[in-house]
Amino acid sequence: MNNPVVRAINKAVVYLFFLVAVFFTLYPLVYVVSAAFSPGTGIASLNILPFADGFTTEHFEHLFRNTDYPRWFRNTFIVALSTSFLTTLFVSLGAYAMSRFRFSFRKPLLMSMLILQIFPSFVGMVAIYVILLRIGGIDQLWGLVLIYVAGNLPYNIWLVKGYLDQVSKNLDEAAIIDGASNLRVFVQIILPIIRPILVFLSITSFVGPWMDFIFPTMVLRSPEKQTLAIGLFNFVTDKKNEFTNFAAGSLLIAIPFVFFFIITQKMLITSLSGAVKE
Amino acid sequence: MSIYAKKGTLSFPFLRLTSKSAPTAGFLSPEGGAAVTIRADGSDKNKVLITSILFCGLSHILYLKQYVKGILFALIEVIAIINIPKFVKALHGLITLGSPQPDVSIKLRDNSIFMLIDGVMALAVIFVFIAIYVISVKSALKEYKKFCDSKVFTSNRHTFSELTGKSFSLFALAPTVIMILFFVLVPLVFSALVAFTNYSAPDHIPPKNTVDWVGFQNFIDMFSGKTAWTSAFGKVALWTLAWGFLATFTCYFGGMLMAVVLHESKIKLKPVFRSIFILPYAVPSVISMLVWRNLMNGSFGTVNRTLIHLGIIKDVIPWLSDPWLAKFTCVLVNLWAGFPYFMLLVTGSMTAISRDIYEAAVVDGASKFQVFKSITLPLVIYQTTPLIIMSISHNINNFGAIFFVTGGGPTLADSTTTGAAGTDLLITWIYKLTINLLQYHYASVLAVLIFMVLAPFAIYNFRRTRAFKEGVE
Repeated sequence: MNNPVVRAINKAVVYLFFLVAVFFTLYPLVYVVSAAFSPGTGIASLNILPFADGFTTEHFEHLFRNTDYPRWFRNTFIVALSTSFLTTLFVSLGAYAMSRFRFSFRKPLLMSMLILQIFPSFVGMVAIYVILLRIGGIDQLWGLVLIYVAGNLPYNIWLVKGYLDQVSKNLDEAAIIDGASNLRVFVQIILPIIRPILVFLSITSFVGPWMDFIFPTMVLRSPEKQTLAIGLFNFVTDKKNEFTNFAAGSLLIAIPFVFFFIITQKMLITSLSGAVKE
Repeated sequence: MSIYAKKGTLSFPFLRLTSKSAPTAGFLSPEGGAAVTIRADGSDKNKVLITSILFCGLSHILYLKQYVKGILFALIEVIAIINIPKFVKALHGLITLGSPQPDVSIKLRDNSIFMLIDGVMALAVIFVFIAIYVISVKSALKEYKKFCDSKVFTSNRHTFSELTGKSFSLFALAPTVIMILFFVLVPLVFSALVAFTNYSAPDHIPPKNTVDWVGFQNFIDMFSGKTAWTSAFGKVALWTLAWGFLATFTCYFGGMLMAVVLHESKIKLKPVFRSIFILPYAVPSVISMLVWRNLMNGSFGTVNRTLIHLGIIKDVIPWLSDPWLAKFTCVLVNLWAGFPYFMLLVTGSMTAISRDIYEAAVVDGASKFQVFKSITLPLVIYQTTPLIIMSISHNINNFGAIFFVTGGGPTLADSTTTGAAGTDLLITWIYKLTINLLQYHYASVLAVLIFMVLAPFAIYNFRRTRAFKEGVE
């Protein structure tokens, strides 16, 4: 081990390994960035070397001038924000009730939520479609929000309830004895206690709608109601191949996501390792 | 007096007089109207029980002097009774699913699917009414017990404040319960029921035609009846399971390899490399999958053009159009997207291992490889097993990793009838059957099967949660 030649070879092997891995990891990403700034439309016309075709911002201009890109972005943003807000609200209220109150049917309710969270919500796709049809939610953004929030509830109520169960009841019981109303206890005591998990919850429920494809295709019909996932997908269907426009649109989404991820990285890893410990 | 005694011997426990001196309460004098009076010694429990069963909230009004609560309960029962015809109609529709009316204009024909969903929703509402009824009976008994203990009625005002207190949990849970009921439970029951109908194109699509119950016919078709469907199902189901394991284990060991090498290597650029390796996790998967789809394209994809240019291959490699190679490509692309997650996870659990164990091993003269094999690896695997299992069940349903890369393709011999192509998972097949082929009945059969495949994973998952271990309290 102490032989300098062996050590040098070792180091070289490790570097080689990393370089191969980095190449594999960055290959598609570099290509997206390069395609977004390259002239041309299809991927077939692009040079096999990234950034070898010259530089242009026409695809970004095209996105904002000739397509509904800003509208897709706005729609998706509205859906994601409402989903995140309503999920956090209902989940925290529900988890508080489940954790701190005793009432009839509490156990059956908890058990049924446990069972229901197994199934991904698209299993009931057809029924959800018909129900939305009956209440006028087809081709409406709120119809989509409703599906997402309902799908988020069972699992996350369990998650937050579990978190709240571990927190001592002393504080809120004392407040109740002092005459505080339940609503006040909820707002002033419970919410601050569960803040870390609520932040995690609001982030995950905000990220989800950005990339969902199944429900938007089913619920949203008119072109001006589309979300980003559908819009981007339509750039690279079998019928047309506008890879450069797709790359430009994707880049604009991916950059905030990557930054967001880097900022919340520490928290994500903590929550991941928290999951390990359990 | 003798009447009471006699009745007592006839064992009408709720009329038996057990103690003369027991305080009584009611509109009339203690000796007078037994009908609206109850005794505080617990002997009138059955009286309360029977009146509360007789009509929702009746005993609250008659005996317990809780008029507000009682009237609210009664009102709910009145609403339920008024709606009985509607329920009957909906349930009747659920059973018959309408009859074909070829001579009526399409708009006026029975829509079986609406009838089916209305029937399921009516069941859900009836279920809620029954739950409220049970709650009212329980509440009456509880109030009576309280009355027996304290000998005084809880005043209406007190009830009111208690109601706002308790009703907080009602208000807190109402939106959740309603949304789960109508957007999670009803759809699931509906799709389970559709598996027993013939809801499919071209002959059974409402409103033009009706849908009928067919019993287990779809299951028989899928498993042994129709050759094309059975063979397609066999292929898809096997591939789904194989995919679930392959996708998970390639990512797991890929991620572990990266984590271990990063952990052990002493190079300076470690943080840079780590941040680069995290990138695939940060990029939204729809985007990265669609990029891979274009890069791997057989004729114009960059990968093939590069390989040809470098002179490594002469003819294009059919990355996405050969059934077996397409499967390989999917696993490879999924490895790209999935290894960072496990890299983070393994790094996390490796740093959590106590230093003492390592030092002890080094003192005992263990080599680096021995330490890894006998200490690090077992501990990391032990800690991450639950997440491996969760990841398998996630991958079984990983719609995006297949749909955006291959679209389920390449098409096989009988893909036109069944819709199932070379890399289709159960979940992407369900999507195609529903959206493109309108074969809802077979899609529902598959959905029921996914329930069954996922259930063991879910049960495993619950069993290890703290909530489960401590019992659902």
